Amino acid sequence: MERALFLIFALTAIVAAFNVVLRRHPLQSALALLVVLGALTGLYILLGAYFLAVIQVVIYAGAILVLFLFVIMLLNLRAEEARLERRPLLRWLAIPFAALLGVEIISLVRLFEENPIPSGTSVGVTESIGRELFTTYLLPFELTSILILIALLGAVVLARREGR
Amino acid sequence: MEWLGISYRAIGPELVLAVTGVLVMLLEAFSPGKKRRDGILAAAGTILAGVVALTLWDEGPRLAFSRMIIVDGFRVFFTLVILLGTLLTIFISWTFLDEERIPPGEYFALLLFGAVGMTLLVASNDLVMVFLALETITIATYVLAGYRREDLRSMESALKYFILGAFSSAFLVYGIALVYGATRTTNLAEMARLVSGSLGRAEVVLLMAGVAMLLIGFGFKVATVPFHVWTPDVYEGAPTPVTAFLSTAPKAAGFAAFLRVFSLTFAPLGIESVADQLAAHWVAVVTAMSILSMTFGNFIAIAQTNIKRMLAYSSIAHAGYVLIGVLARDWAAVAFYLLVYTIMNLGCFAIVALWARRGDERVLIVDYAGLGFRQPMLSFPLAIFLVSLAGFPGTAGFIAKFWLFKSAWGAGFPELVLIGVLNTVVSVYYYLYVVIVMFFREPREEVARVPLSRAFVATLVVTVVGVFYLGLLPTRVFAILNAAQSLLAVGMR
Repeated sequence: MERALFLIFALTAIVAAFNVVLRRHPLQSALALLVVLGALTGLYILLGAYFLAVIQVVIYAGAILVLFLFVIMLLNLRAEEARLERRPLLRWLAIPFAALLGVEIISLVRLFEENPIPSGTSVGVTESIGRELFTTYLLPFELTSILILIALLGAVVLARREGR
Repeated sequence: MEWLGISYRAIGPELVLAVTGVLVMLLEAFSPGKKRRDGILAAAGTILAGVVALTLWDEGPRLAFSRMIIVDGFRVFFTLVILLGTLLTIFISWTFLDEERIPPGEYFALLLFGAVGMTLLVASNDLVMVFLALETITIATYVLAGYRREDLRSMESALKYFILGAFSSAFLVYGIALVYGATRTTNLAEMARLVSGSLGRAEVVLLMAGVAMLLIGFGFKVATVPFHVWTPDVYEGAPTPVTAFLSTAPKAAGFAAFLRVFSLTFAPLGIESVADQLAAHWVAVVTAMSILSMTFGNFIAIAQTNIKRMLAYSSIAHAGYVLIGVLARDWAAVAFYLLVYTIMNLGCFAIVALWARRGDERVLIVDYAGLGFRQPMLSFPLAIFLVSLAGFPGTAGFIAKFWLFKSAWGAGFPELVLIGVLNTVVSVYYYLYVVIVMFFREPREEVARVPLSRAFVATLVVTVVGVFYLGLLPTRVFAILNAAQSLLAVGMR
């Protein structure tokens, strides 16, 4: 059962990921990305990382992707379709980068084969994340609040009207 | 509370800065537009933070907040350099805020929050903190760079800075992820212990890739060739007081993090270890970055007609000199260099900002023609700072370069010292060119004298005294830094 679910989610993610790259219309790509994120959520649940799964839906699918869609619709990006296709140099550049990524994935897989994560650990559960966030990562957590405050302040400054 | 390592003392300077920032922001919300009050409050908060930082001086290396924060002489000294830069920037901004009719509250608040990020970056002992602190700095500075909203150059500067900054942050965070994957820790002390031993082959490969990414990320943040392309445009377009800030305090903080990660964590130990394997690579790459930055920076600076762009290329060249110190792993020399650079560059930009006037009207080098004897209060200090930037004996710039080159020579980088000295000779040309234009060229049209504010005079006094004090009597600061360095060396291993 678990294996079957894993295969379904993994295949969906891969097929959708190809769609993200191959679709011509940016809107369709964005929607395909939504499917990728949904499939990854399924994988997180299978791994027992319920908190990450929820965060994935709320933040990535819910907030970031909706923002993407807004931008695409507002800019009406249809004009870009043809133009982006004519970049042969960039396309060749993809090969070395893909090779690099391949090496990285292989060495990562080796790494995890050598030292597998013990099963039954509570990584990615709300309790363990909350505990870490408010003990080990307390100061980074607090700093994040200042970071967000600056971002808000900056947005207000840059968006203010002239000559008030 | 004890087991969490919560120690308000350990983040005292940052707490003072953050509280002052929030206060300034709230005051602006309830009674807007009082520049004097906001500015004095911001300056007072910065000075108080400096005092609090000084009380941490005698505390030996210790960790706090689950080893996220380190308290040592390194951190305190860099914190003081950053606070000095922030304080002088507040002074420089005084006239600018009036001329551009900018709401002062948010401006000062952003400066202070930026300073919080910088001081925390210097204090970071964990890559998670390093990343968050860097983001705090960059988000504050993006907004500051775009502060003159009606000016297209300022907007272009902010946008360029934002896009390239986001790009470099991505490199940095990817690097951190890879390093974490290889070592299973983000803590620098833990990492230093791990790399002093041996790791599996796959782990070493990952670590190499991660460290390369980190190098690219930091290279962007401190503006070294080949990651410098954003610098001239951003420095030219940003409001001049902001340019002054960008070229000093965040740079000092960036180099402090660079030192902490590369010179102290991934330092070669001279034994068979992962650290030495890594060092063999990063030392070669940083050497190349240093040579390129010095040479490109200085040669391209010669061709500049805009003084802000010239100083931007000069700052790239100076970043190249500083990298020599990073390679020599002598953080005290680097700290001293950055202190001196902060003082002379802020002094320079104070005058450039005042002379440029509203909307950056006069920023070409030819605009300085005839300034010499018509307004000596501007021309003589500017000449002193430029001569110090070039590294003439008797000024702080000379002592800083001398110390840097001496320690590089001792650490076995004679070729870098040679290239550095040759570059210094090249740089004399464009620094002195401005002086010659000021004193020996007649202006195209007669220009009115610029009124000097009290804050401006205070900046000049601090910077001129600083240049001569550190240039003629540097022994006291040397002794302090050397003592801190030997204390840190004992605490590290």
